[in-house]
Amino acid sequence: MTLDSKVPGGPIEGKWRKHKAELKLVNPANKRKFTVIVVGTGLAGGSASASLAELGYNVKTFCIQDSPRRAHSIAAQGGINAAKNYPNDGDSVWRLFYDTVKGGDFRAREANVYRLAEVSNLIIDQCAAQGIPFAREYSGLLANRSFGGAQVSRTFYARGQTGQQLLLGAYGSLSRQIAAGKVTMFPRREMLDLVVVNGRARGIVVRNLVTGQMERHEAHAVVLATGGYGNVFFLSTNAMACNVTAAWRCHKKGAFFANPCFTQIHPTCIPVHGAFQSKLTLMSESLRNDGRVWVPKTKGDARKPKDIPESERDYYLERKYPSFGNLVPRDVASRNAKFMCDAGMGVGETGLAVYLDFADAIERDGKAVIEKKYGNLFAMYEKISGEDPYTTPMMIYPAIHYTMGGLWVDYDLMSTIPGLFVLGEANFSDHGANRLGASALMQGLADGYFVIPYTIGGYLAGGGLEPVSTDSAAFADAEKEAVARIEKLLSIGGKRTVDDFHKELGHLLWNDCGMGRTDAGLQNALDRIPAIRAEFWENVRVPGGRADFNQSLERAGRVADFLEFAELMVTDALARRESCGGHFNEAFQTPENEALRDDENFCHVAAWEYAGDKKAPVLHKEPLTFENVKLTQRSYK
Amino acid sequence: MDWVIRTFSSSVGKKSLMAVTGLGFVGFLAGHLAGNFTAYLGPAALNGYATHLHELALVVKAAEIGLVLFACVHVTTGLLLFIQNLAARPERYSGKKWAGGRTLSSATMPYTGLLILSFVLYHLFEFRLNPPEPTALFAFVANYFKSPLNVTLYAAAMLVVALHVRHGLWSAFQTLGANHPKYMPGIEKLSILFGLLVAVGLGFIPIFFLFAVNHVAG
Amino acid sequence: MSARTINLTLKIWRQRQGEKKGAFETFEARGISTDSSFLEMLDVVNENLTLSGREPVAFDHDCREGICGMCGAVVNGRAHGPEAGTTLCQLHMRHFQDGDTIAIEPFRARAFKVIKDLAVDRGAFDSIIQAGGFISVNTGSSPEANSTPVPQENAEAAMDAAACIGCGACVASCPNASAMLFLSAKVSQMALLPQGRPEAAKRVLGMLRKMDALGFGNCTNERECEADCPKEISIAHIARMNREFLKASFFSKEK
Repeated sequence: MTLDSKVPGGPIEGKWRKHKAELKLVNPANKRKFTVIVVGTGLAGGSASASLAELGYNVKTFCIQDSPRRAHSIAAQGGINAAKNYPNDGDSVWRLFYDTVKGGDFRAREANVYRLAEVSNLIIDQCAAQGIPFAREYSGLLANRSFGGAQVSRTFYARGQTGQQLLLGAYGSLSRQIAAGKVTMFPRREMLDLVVVNGRARGIVVRNLVTGQMERHEAHAVVLATGGYGNVFFLSTNAMACNVTAAWRCHKKGAFFANPCFTQIHPTCIPVHGAFQSKLTLMSESLRNDGRVWVPKTKGDARKPKDIPESERDYYLERKYPSFGNLVPRDVASRNAKFMCDAGMGVGETGLAVYLDFADAIERDGKAVIEKKYGNLFAMYEKISGEDPYTTPMMIYPAIHYTMGGLWVDYDLMSTIPGLFVLGEANFSDHGANRLGASALMQGLADGYFVIPYTIGGYLAGGGLEPVSTDSAAFADAEKEAVARIEKLLSIGGKRTVDDFHKELGHLLWNDCGMGRTDAGLQNALDRIPAIRAEFWENVRVPGGRADFNQSLERAGRVADFLEFAELMVTDALARRESCGGHFNEAFQTPENEALRDDENFCHVAAWEYAGDKKAPVLHKEPLTFENVKLTQRSYK
Repeated sequence: MDWVIRTFSSSVGKKSLMAVTGLGFVGFLAGHLAGNFTAYLGPAALNGYATHLHELALVVKAAEIGLVLFACVHVTTGLLLFIQNLAARPERYSGKKWAGGRTLSSATMPYTGLLILSFVLYHLFEFRLNPPEPTALFAFVANYFKSPLNVTLYAAAMLVVALHVRHGLWSAFQTLGANHPKYMPGIEKLSILFGLLVAVGLGFIPIFFLFAVNHVAG
Repeated sequence: MSARTINLTLKIWRQRQGEKKGAFETFEARGISTDSSFLEMLDVVNENLTLSGREPVAFDHDCREGICGMCGAVVNGRAHGPEAGTTLCQLHMRHFQDGDTIAIEPFRARAFKVIKDLAVDRGAFDSIIQAGGFISVNTGSSPEANSTPVPQENAEAAMDAAACIGCGACVASCPNASAMLFLSAKVSQMALLPQGRPEAAKRVLGMLRKMDALGFGNCTNERECEADCPKEISIAHIARMNREFLKASFFSKEK
């Protein structure tokens, strides 16, 4: 099978316009004859559900939490990018496109990124109209700030809760459609399988997490917006319920998984404190606008930060990257923190932390100004760490935050299974090998509000979608398989808990497939994962029953899938013989320790096809061509 | 008229009824307080005030009808809210600690309300059913408060009223939507002040009669 | 971040799924790091229960950074525990002493049915939002964002209200199990913004009637909600909603 990205021809500025004009339309009266399933209610799923329902489609929306408002998009803090150029500082659709392609270390599909930049402005309009309380200037007009490595101020924000506000906006629109009867909402449901009939995605099997009942749902198309797989590392900034299960089951039903090794490590998280830690907390990288990152110049300097004089501090980001300073992209900032800690300069009890110091900013702008900008973040830091960042520098360390890899999709956001569309973080998306700050919100909403409403119409209008019954063999088999798996998990009755396995896997991946990867480490992970998986299926203990609200069982299913997925992730990392963005193989670096790409051989999307339980996955390559942005070595000096 | 029923049967509608009638009572209480203050000035002042009131019979009648209507609304709505609020949490907490929002006053509103109702009925029975001649009011009151039981009852009742008003007054403003950062702190202080005024100003009258008047009169 | 470990006695509410009655059960939690969050402490308890062949305690949680609103329980008589402006997931064990006994029970209200143990059904909140907690704008029909200026002061006040995470602590802590703070946060946010004005009357009437119908109690201005709200949302928003309600009832055409 060859991968056809279906990118329209012509100059990049006109591709999306042309494509929209060429897409087939569904007659307004016929839209109500189509049912679309949307799995996930984050920015992508929530906005897609609302927009599709507004168009007249019948939508069935599923989420894992008790309410669609709780999806993990809600935790995004910093902001959302758009090329409005309100500050008159030289921004444009082109520059946003360029920055995103470059930020992604030239591993994203140009046409998709251009479209993303193009619709970014519409998102801001839409969200303002929804009543999102964006920050404003005294004039009452929208405020912008610069964010995460951008040299223009193009980030719109609502205090440190931009994700929450945007999600609640989409949730509001979704709620309106639920009230109107156009969306049927199914909360507390977990998708356990995709149902494919005649080669097309036609339904899903879900488990009702309250009653434990299995449910079958059919539709004309399935939209997957189930987020990323960062929790494969156990400790990440993802919410506890984030998982790869839905995407993985689709992968096993034929959807290719693209670039799974592209994982993002966020530089500003609160350091790990102990063995019982369940998750890591991100501090918005907007903090890097005013905070200065430093470590002591001397190895093992155990003095309190305030006792270390200026001359004995190493502001290493400012030293190494004079023009970007503390605002270098996430992968660069993260790697440098690891580099300093590995060299023994790390601070704190574990030595796995660097300082983020606001003393200069507070002296320059006054405490009140800093409090207004970051008050909630400082309060959160103090709650977690018990230290006051106004007087003591924060301690930060990188943590897994976002996954750029995901199910492969074409320009229409359709996977390799016809009728299965994948949006937001769940697809391999527009971020290449590294995502820039404030662009995840942009992508989720672009996909949901402004891409899928057009492209799904083109698919549905194409015809060939005969009625299917949930009583058919395809549904029955999918359910039977899911039930068998659940029964198996409950029957093992071993000696180790689900979390115990999850931690073991996470620890392995963090060490061997984390910030700095080596061939030996990756090989070690590849050897260990099947062993952990085998033990899991023999020795895991899942208490409780099937027909119950059983959170251990939920986690067990997810960890079982992580144990399969992890192998693919490591395989992908090993196959990519270069470093790029979030994928840093220590064998491939410049003399200045920057990621060294191999454009000759690896300027492609690695899309993996599932070949069977005992068989190695099959690699398909989608070549990436850069007609508009010149391939260069990223430099933030 | 459907909208009127819908409005007043809603939670905020019912609360608004409580607020408006409550504010009416606060007004009445202020008037009663001002009038009763004449007692401190001696028999001539109090009896003069009573005589003056009698000359305004029509106005007094109208006010009385108004108060009875207000009372009916305040009491029935209050009871309804009380029952509904109990029903809104069928299973109670094993040990609820209050977070600091609640005051003794706010927590006891339904109970102080019912106590006040009983007191008002008793008070009306004692003073309104067989009223003394206005010119003999001071003597009547002096005689009434010779009984330490009556003194205790009335003084205690005023404490209860004060407690009820301390939450009721600012709460009425809040319910009617009058919460402004500039004025609310003042209104909250006013509630406490008014409560104190009722407790001291009215509550002290029976004691004044027991000790000052009756003692001097021998 | 210097961690100690403490031992605790926990009295946790257990209630089987589908049953109306429950009871407290006592557990010992040993060697809890004071750097752990409250939920991480419960994780430890659950790991031990699992290993000893008993069923772990069910509790809702997700983001564990105080923003998703999924977690919540009444801890020692307070919704989300004793710390002000803190969700349960952000409550850290350093606020407890070695040897403490901690009572943990679910949010209780007629409108919030217990699903199992500490997990409750807060679907009523979604129903309230569905009754009008949005601005009816279809995707694609919005004007240029800067064509409608919003005074900064109003945008900030709207953001104060919009910070609501829908956790239900206001209902849990209200002596009357009223949802007025939740309701008012949304009504107030929208009422403060020009984009929300066209539907203001319809919104407040719809949402309030829905709240009443769902069996929440009536607000008696006890201010417990405000004191326990993890996002410290002010009851000034309730007053604004009351104002909106009276305006809508008496001066709009909405019936």
